[in-house]
Amino acid sequence: MEYIQGIAILIGINLIAVLGLSILTGFTGLFSFGHGGFMAIGAYISAIVTARLHLPFALAIIAGAVSAGLVSIFIGRLTLKLKGDYFCIATMGFGEAVRVILNNIDYVGGARGWESLPQLTSIWVVLGLDIAAVIVAWNLINSRHGRNLVAVREEELAAQMAGIDVYRHKMIALVVSAAMAGIAGALMANYIQFIRPTMFNMAKSTDLTIMVIFGGLGSISGSIVGTFLLVSLPELFRNFAQWRLVIYGLAVIVIMVGRPKGVMGGFELTPSGIRKSMAARRARLALEAEARALEREDLA
Amino acid sequence: MNQFLQQLINGLSIGSIYALMAVGYSLVYSIMNFSNFAHGSVIMLGAYFGFFALTLAGLPFALAFFVAALSAAGVAVLLERLAYKPLRDRHAPFLYFIITAMGASIFIDNSVIATIGPTPKTFPSELLPSFLQSGAIRIGHVDVGRIDLAMFAITVVCLVALVLFIDFTRLGKAIQATAYNMKASALMGINPGFVIILVFAIGGALAGVAGVLYGMKYQVFPQMSAITLKSFIAAVFGGLGSLPGAMLGSLLLALIETFVSGYLSTQYRDLFSFIILIAMLVIRPSGIMGKTAEDKA
Amino acid sequence: MSVVLELKGLTKRFGGLAAVNDVSFKVREGGISGLIGPNGAGKTTIFNLITGVYKVSGGAIEFRGLPVQDKEPYQIAGLGITRTFQNIRLFKELSVFDNVLTACHASAKYGLTEAVLRLPRFRREEKALHEKADSLLEIMGLRDRTDVTANNLPYGLQRRLEITRALALDPKLLLLDEPAAGMNPDETEQLMRLIAEVRSRFELSVLVIEHHMDLIMGVCEHIHVLSFGCTLADGTPDEVANDPQVVEAYLGAEEAKK
Repeated sequence: MEYIQGIAILIGINLIAVLGLSILTGFTGLFSFGHGGFMAIGAYISAIVTARLHLPFALAIIAGAVSAGLVSIFIGRLTLKLKGDYFCIATMGFGEAVRVILNNIDYVGGARGWESLPQLTSIWVVLGLDIAAVIVAWNLINSRHGRNLVAVREEELAAQMAGIDVYRHKMIALVVSAAMAGIAGALMANYIQFIRPTMFNMAKSTDLTIMVIFGGLGSISGSIVGTFLLVSLPELFRNFAQWRLVIYGLAVIVIMVGRPKGVMGGFELTPSGIRKSMAARRARLALEAEARALEREDLA
Repeated sequence: MNQFLQQLINGLSIGSIYALMAVGYSLVYSIMNFSNFAHGSVIMLGAYFGFFALTLAGLPFALAFFVAALSAAGVAVLLERLAYKPLRDRHAPFLYFIITAMGASIFIDNSVIATIGPTPKTFPSELLPSFLQSGAIRIGHVDVGRIDLAMFAITVVCLVALVLFIDFTRLGKAIQATAYNMKASALMGINPGFVIILVFAIGGALAGVAGVLYGMKYQVFPQMSAITLKSFIAAVFGGLGSLPGAMLGSLLLALIETFVSGYLSTQYRDLFSFIILIAMLVIRPSGIMGKTAEDKA
Repeated sequence: MSVVLELKGLTKRFGGLAAVNDVSFKVREGGISGLIGPNGAGKTTIFNLITGVYKVSGGAIEFRGLPVQDKEPYQIAGLGITRTFQNIRLFKELSVFDNVLTACHASAKYGLTEAVLRLPRFRREEKALHEKADSLLEIMGLRDRTDVTANNLPYGLQRRLEITRALALDPKLLLLDEPAAGMNPDETEQLMRLIAEVRSRFELSVLVIEHHMDLIMGVCEHIHVLSFGCTLADGTPDEVANDPQVVEAYLGAEEAKK
């Protein structure tokens, strides 16, 4: 039972970061190699607040989210005007820079890590924050701001011509995703009670991104499914641990090449999402039928 | 002064490897306009190919190099055909290319860990040619490692050959034309599919050579592919898509790194590279040699 | 007659090359004006300058008396200039309805917090946005296509959707970049009617780039002719069509292409 609960907590913690990244990558089309860095900021700030300052956990979580958010504003100012590839490489540089800096701060344990942090993350805290995160993400995406994010992903120039401040919307997505990664980091530090800079390296960043991709770019429910599958499956098949990442990598290629919208195909697993997906399908079939009818007329 | 010279030589030798990696990466970028993040994994595979050609197959040193270059080129082309081409055919957004490249990198790295294992492998010195076996050559008061010297020499030969190839052969000119404007050159009868294969093959071959050199100087291990992060930084530093830029960026980055670790601390070396990277992106995103161009709407 | 848009000595250089060289003209309020010229004359570059995609190298752009050449593209769009593209740029993966709904965003004022907490203003304004998108699609005859993914639409309807999306911003000036490209004469005819109808129904001014001379001569009240980035002629369709320089440069170039 405790084992199952442990997995549930891990899923819950990752879910918050993945939902944030889903907004950035899945909906806004910005690809980050550095969200492990934002998680690290949340984790270390929370550790300082709880273990060194002995302040309440709620404050630690908020401090983690706010610090990660503030750093992301700074990073965003520097990099969000860059073209796609450059943004990826810049976030990669950011994530690694955070790790290297942490390695050199003895106050937080340096490269050896920081042990015996207080365990404050309970399943209820995680569950509560997960529900809040899903609601925030869902309501954000289904608003004019969320639609503007998708417009930026789909066609940046056209979005500008539609009066959308592309830079500002990218910033919104980045800050929200960084703050959520910060919360996940805070929960992580006070759950496993031990943090070390390598825990938040590029592999962690890509892990989060893969969960988003697996569930499908542009789908909140997809991100939830992706997180469930990719956190729990490797736990259940511990014996295949070394093959896990091989299959991950292969799955990413297969998804991108064969089913680029992921397991959920870009649609939401909700009544309205299913209705929408079916309506789109019907409309496409109707169009094709019309075209065929026209063709027949031409032939006749 | 001696310490300065020593650092300079270290910097040049590391820089030459960065350059071999960065040039291949930049070449692919100039044609495809996306960052092939799997390039590092090809370099790592090249190192293993070279290592096994030398130790298991018992091939002579020069031949092992050749095998490494050839098989790394093969892997790169295979990657292009199996993973990137379907995306290109579909006109997939550039994000998908990057994600696919990342997936390929995870796949290759972990396949090596799962099959060969994570333990680093050292090139057995008795299998290296005799002129590489003994220690450093002393010039004045400065020690020059024999392997460093070989690295530098081989890199120079490879890069000069590449430049000659690109500037003076028909195929090289086809690459240039395609990089400049793929659609127009396709209309002029240059097959873009062929140029893309060619570019991946060249980039892969250089990656193989770089991998073996790196493995000889240090060791061969799966996480090697992460070290190529530096070559990405170097390529951005010099200007993505520009070959001279990639070379210059590599040398500068390596020199800065060796001087920082020599005079400040090794701890701060990587931090410095990342700061330089971000500073460069902010001040001049197109790099030292890159062209600044406005997107055509 | 008042002027909605005025270009004053507009110049754009790429490197050493002047793509647009000292071009001045006025777009009349409520009118349909045409911008024509051989390939490479700088027509699309002018659109990119007006909409802020490119920064001007010299000269000024005044929209309803207000200089806009230093504004960001989204600000210019917000002021009331919208456009379509030569190579259609829709939000491809979104439905027809969502394409238009997205562009309606400026009519709502609710903020992020109101959206996340679903406060009353969010609900009220969201409802209004949906109604606006609905009525636009109705007017533009796309009502029975709302659920189709934009990418799956036939070519002609994609053009129509792009114009609908532009109208969602309540523009004062609509820039159309080769709207009839790739259309057969029937479709072009339909498009001409649509443009005229849109102009009067939405009380806006239109500036259109076009190669189809029928379309230009048919709907435009005023035409500006460019050649190699410079002004060649300016006037009514009749005046322009009879200008010897235009006949030589423009039609000559057309002849040469055949």
